[in-house]
Amino acid sequence: MRYFVSRVMFFVLTLWAAVTLNFIIPRLQPGDPAQTMVQRLAGQSEAIDPAAIRAVQIMLGLPTGSIFEQYVDYLQAVVRGDFGISYTYFPYTVTHMIAEALPWTIVLVGVTHVLGFVIGTLLGAAAAWKRNGKFDTVVSLGSTFIGTLPFFWIALILIYVLAFTLRWFPEAGGYSGEIDPAWSWAFFGDAIYHGILPALSLLITAPIGWIMGMRNNMVHTLGEDYTRLALAKGLRQRRVALTYSARVAILPNVTGFALGLGTILGGTVMVEMIFGYPGMGKLMFDAISNRDYPLMQTIFLFTTIGVLLANLCADILYGVLDPRVRREAQT
Amino acid sequence: MTERASLEPGAVSPEGAGSPLLSVENLSVSYAATRAVRDVSFQLHDGEFVGLLGESGSGKTTLGNALLRLLPPPGRISEGRVMWWGSARTGEAREGPEPHRAGRDLTTIGQEDLRRLRWREMSTVFQSSMNSLNPVLTIETQFRDVIEEHTAMRGAPARQRIGQLLEMVMLDPSYMRFYPHELSGGMKQRVALALALALRPRFVLLDEPTTGLDVIVQRSILDNVRALQREQGFAVLLISHDLGTVMEVSDRVMVMYAGKIVEDQRASTMIAEPMHPYTRGLLGAYADPRAREVEIAYIPGRPPDLSRPGQRGCLFAPRCQEAIDVCRAEEPVLSAMGQGEAACHVAEAAYAAGDGRRDQSARAGEVFTAPAGRTDRGPRVERRQEVLAVAGVHKRYRSRRGLKVTEVDAVQDVSFVLRAGTVTALVGQSGSGKTTLARMVTGVERPDTGSVTFGELRVDRLRGRGLKAYRRHVQLVFQDPFAALNPAHTIGYTLSRPLINHQDVTGAALRPAIEELLERVGLSPASTYIEKYPHQLSGGQQQRVVVARALAPDPEIIVADEPISMLDVSIRAEILELLDTLVRERGIAMLYITHDLLSARVLADEVLVLHNGKLVESGATLEVIRGARDAYTRQLLDAIPNPFATRRG
Amino acid sequence: MSTPIGQVAKPIDSEPAPGDVAAAVRRSRLPSWVVILWANRKSRIGLIMLGLFIFVAVFAPLLATHDPKVTDFAQSLPPGGAHPLGTTASGQDILSQLVYGARTSIVVGLVAGTVVTFIALLVGLTAGYLQGWVDEVLSFLINLALVVPVLPLMITIAAYSPVRGLFLIIFVISITGWAWGARVKRAQILTLRSRDYITAARFAGEGRLRIIFAEIMPNMMSLVVAGFLGAAAGAIGAEAGLEFLGLGDPTTVSWGTMLYWANNSGAMLTGQWIWLGAPGLAIALLLSSLTLINFGVDALSNPHLRER
Ligand SMILES: Nc1ncnc2c1ncn2[C@@H]1O[C@H](COP(=O)(O)OP(=O)(O)O)[C@@H](O)[C@H]1O
Ligand code: SF4
Ligand SMILES: [Mg+2]
Repeated sequence: MRYFVSRVMFFVLTLWAAVTLNFIIPRLQPGDPAQTMVQRLAGQSEAIDPAAIRAVQIMLGLPTGSIFEQYVDYLQAVVRGDFGISYTYFPYTVTHMIAEALPWTIVLVGVTHVLGFVIGTLLGAAAAWKRNGKFDTVVSLGSTFIGTLPFFWIALILIYVLAFTLRWFPEAGGYSGEIDPAWSWAFFGDAIYHGILPALSLLITAPIGWIMGMRNNMVHTLGEDYTRLALAKGLRQRRVALTYSARVAILPNVTGFALGLGTILGGTVMVEMIFGYPGMGKLMFDAISNRDYPLMQTIFLFTTIGVLLANLCADILYGVLDPRVRREAQT
Repeated sequence: MTERASLEPGAVSPEGAGSPLLSVENLSVSYAATRAVRDVSFQLHDGEFVGLLGESGSGKTTLGNALLRLLPPPGRISEGRVMWWGSARTGEAREGPEPHRAGRDLTTIGQEDLRRLRWREMSTVFQSSMNSLNPVLTIETQFRDVIEEHTAMRGAPARQRIGQLLEMVMLDPSYMRFYPHELSGGMKQRVALALALALRPRFVLLDEPTTGLDVIVQRSILDNVRALQREQGFAVLLISHDLGTVMEVSDRVMVMYAGKIVEDQRASTMIAEPMHPYTRGLLGAYADPRAREVEIAYIPGRPPDLSRPGQRGCLFAPRCQEAIDVCRAEEPVLSAMGQGEAACHVAEAAYAAGDGRRDQSARAGEVFTAPAGRTDRGPRVERRQEVLAVAGVHKRYRSRRGLKVTEVDAVQDVSFVLRAGTVTALVGQSGSGKTTLARMVTGVERPDTGSVTFGELRVDRLRGRGLKAYRRHVQLVFQDPFAALNPAHTIGYTLSRPLINHQDVTGAALRPAIEELLERVGLSPASTYIEKYPHQLSGGQQQRVVVARALAPDPEIIVADEPISMLDVSIRAEILELLDTLVRERGIAMLYITHDLLSARVLADEVLVLHNGKLVESGATLEVIRGARDAYTRQLLDAIPNPFATRRG
Repeated sequence: MSTPIGQVAKPIDSEPAPGDVAAAVRRSRLPSWVVILWANRKSRIGLIMLGLFIFVAVFAPLLATHDPKVTDFAQSLPPGGAHPLGTTASGQDILSQLVYGARTSIVVGLVAGTVVTFIALLVGLTAGYLQGWVDEVLSFLINLALVVPVLPLMITIAAYSPVRGLFLIIFVISITGWAWGARVKRAQILTLRSRDYITAARFAGEGRLRIIFAEIMPNMMSLVVAGFLGAAAGAIGAEAGLEFLGLGDPTTVSWGTMLYWANNSGAMLTGQWIWLGAPGLAIALLLSSLTLINFGVDALSNPHLRER
């Protein structure tokens, strides 16, 4: 029980830290942050949109008041879910824009991350079981190289080959213009069709970390006495591989699950941008290009919270899977 | 309880009635260049309890793993066969001679056939069972999977059987719901044993089943094994480096040295008449601590490096006091002599000439006599100068777990003094508070109440700089010498640091000072050791370096924490002798921490017995050991495996 | 970049027998780390590859046929003739850009790798050695930095910066990428500091700094080097990513900006797959060389190889 309580406490603390970090970052610039930002906006576009200034002001809390009051205002706004208005997409609120984009990213990242985890863990386990064999050599060396390919470059090459040259897939977008976004099979099919290339771009490298992790852990657990004892017990190979070696070897991968999510999110930002895929990554990219600070800040906050939540889930799952943390020694 | 014959030890002769259960024929195993097992042959019969004895690295575990075909890579059987004569179980009529036992070669048998033989016919308990239970499965699951794999038993009857098995090893059946980490080391060991017996196998391989456990727990587990073996009649191969243990429980003992079996005979005759010089040396390392005079022997030198090619002759020759010319040219083979078998030219010649009983009184190796029995002791202990006094110390540890605070009284009201030129042994099982007391003496830990005084200095009140200065007077010798030496530094560097820091030796004076230290601990010529790294030395040499480092600041007190328990039996006495010499010559006060009463008897002038943080007995060594009054002290004494006492009656 | 900066993805393996390497170390007059790494086949390949990249980076002005920034040539030329890899959409020589790009990547890897390793070492050492509340606070920071998604954080920080350029990118990578290394080093210190030889050093009269730097550090060498290689690889990848997103200075010549321009000026439309493909492959090869070197690094802390 103590374990679960401590994990929840860690979650709450990190959540607070992330929210605070989000408050601090814009204020780290020299001078009055609101002024600086508005000036920079002004320098960029000829006429300053008054909505933009308001948005920045709301984001920073009213420029009046001490930093402490600003912090309290900010926390209240966060609790209310009030993140101001996006001036790129005026008059929509930041929250509205994020609500539009979030499902796309959750599906894209969710599917690729889980698939990457499953594929990688299975490949890693297989490589370890047949360690030093041909399959292991190919998987190990292949991963070493493929793991170094940048996400965005893979995306570019995939577009070039599969979409541009071979015309098997659409080059960009989340769905075709002719179909209205609605809860219909036609729309889903179209969305999946558009999602394949972005997903593939992420999926090519996504399993690498899990392959290495699982392989190395399992090479270790295969050498452990309990695995050798399981063989000595005359259990079937499958059972030894699954319930003895793999079952223990997978535990560190579970803790890594949330950390990996942060990494794949980074890839998503680029992939979505390249494909014009209507998710959080593209939204973030648009926000940067237009210096839409409120939108950008809020996206950062949301991604962080998302990762923290995933981390909490992974921690809880870990506790369920590993009796050593769930039930502490009674001696 | 069992259909098999109950066998008293000795009811089956080594040659056995009828055919063997298992026969090993010219087996060799290598790990890449290392020839870990070399041309080993022996037989094992139904219901026999055989011990396999040898120091660490001699190839015992490798041999055991090869028998079960469980060698970890790069281990490989390069030659030989392992024949299994126990036919697959058909009915239970196994008594009497079995005319057509078909033998099967375990080294070549198919995976599936092997799998079916495993555990039903032969099972094992690994060396250090701490790790041989799956950490994420309950105890019940780990029994259940093997029961369900090999028998038709399921559900409630299976659970009942698991309960019975746990009771058999004196564990409550409710433990089956536990995970391994919730059990103590001894309990895990019992579980591993019960697991090995789950399917009533005919052969059980036990690899160091009790190493690392407390003596009293060890004792009780071994008694348990022996009782179960008599009751159920399975054959046992017990691997151990501990001669006392092996001799006491085995019917027959095989001694292994450098990958070869060098002697094989009944335990009872081996005690009286060891044939191989190595066996004689090993036996010399044991003695009955209760005897009026105790002397123990050691075999100087170290085992050969089996990865070096082109070694000729008897590999024991460099350490053998009886070696003759032919020994260096020709490797002896295991052949029948006396009442068993041995591989030794000299012994063979002696038996061929008639009386093989060479002079048994002249023990092989160097001899070290326990000071407590000697008369050249200098002034009586009470008259020697008092160096450090521990008075009425008390220490309570608090540990917080969530809201629960548990308190442990690690040390309660302990008083003793350390005197110059005197060894005071602190004896007790792990957790009894030995280490806490040692930490108080070194100033690392402060007592809650009571005092530790060194001359005029209150050690328990030292801080920062004062503590640092105090360390010059009190030095440590550690249990594991390899862990106590930084692998990144040469011996010369390691020894130079205390000289520079505590003695202000610098520049040109440094090297001679280091050499002097090395010579003093018997590492000569010193110049060959200065540039060496720890891993290039043997365990005994490493421990000598650790002692040299402790001597560097010229301390008044040395705290030695189990300094020989990690060393091989054949060289333990050598380190004890070194410590003894230094204490006497330099008037050092030594606190010798141990769980082993024999070494305490050999080295110490005074003994303190600690139990659950309390001093239960103290006094002059001979008086405490020969006339133990406290129940716990007697329990400790009884737990010492003592082949001589039991065999000689 | 499928792992946090500084984390090294490599399969564990056991290459050469320490005996042979130890002998080689004794024989050679080269520093022992060179010999030890060279003894491992994969490390050797990695070292050769890295050596080539460094050579190209150092001698870029001699190797490049043109000034990489000059836009004088015909636009979007196919490979061949004076421009072996063709020209960009604004008329720059692609090969020359590729050659100069190596400089940027190597500098980023070296500088950011060093800074990240330094921060990781400082935080990890302090947390692991001091323990107590200092450790609690630092461990929380480490865990926090590990869970915060790095790229969005980098983007956010970079987006606020008034100046753009390589310095900013290195700065951003450095302050966001130290967590993994710090965590690994803290764990290692925790195990090392409880070793008996550390206690022994204390009784030999050694001070705190000497214990950390003379007793603990030599046994962490392989960890530190592996951490550096991992950090350098992570930094090179992150730099390319940030440049590609346009968060760097688009006028610097680097593999990231090459991809940025290739993507934004329609290299696909003109079918210039080399412009698109070459920088990515260059990144992958450079990172592979670091990973390969890493295979031999474990041997650096192996005492059996430290003989002279
Ligand atoms: N996995 C292994 N790889 C290489 N050498 C090994 C391995 N296991 C044991 N050895 C070597 O084989 C020899 C015998 O070891 P072992 O069977 O463990 O002896 P014991 O059980 O008597 O201590 C030793 O020289 C040891 O160094
Ligand atoms: S053969 Fe020779 S060297 Fe070997 S044990 Fe016998 S006497 Fe000693
Ligand atoms: Mg062994």
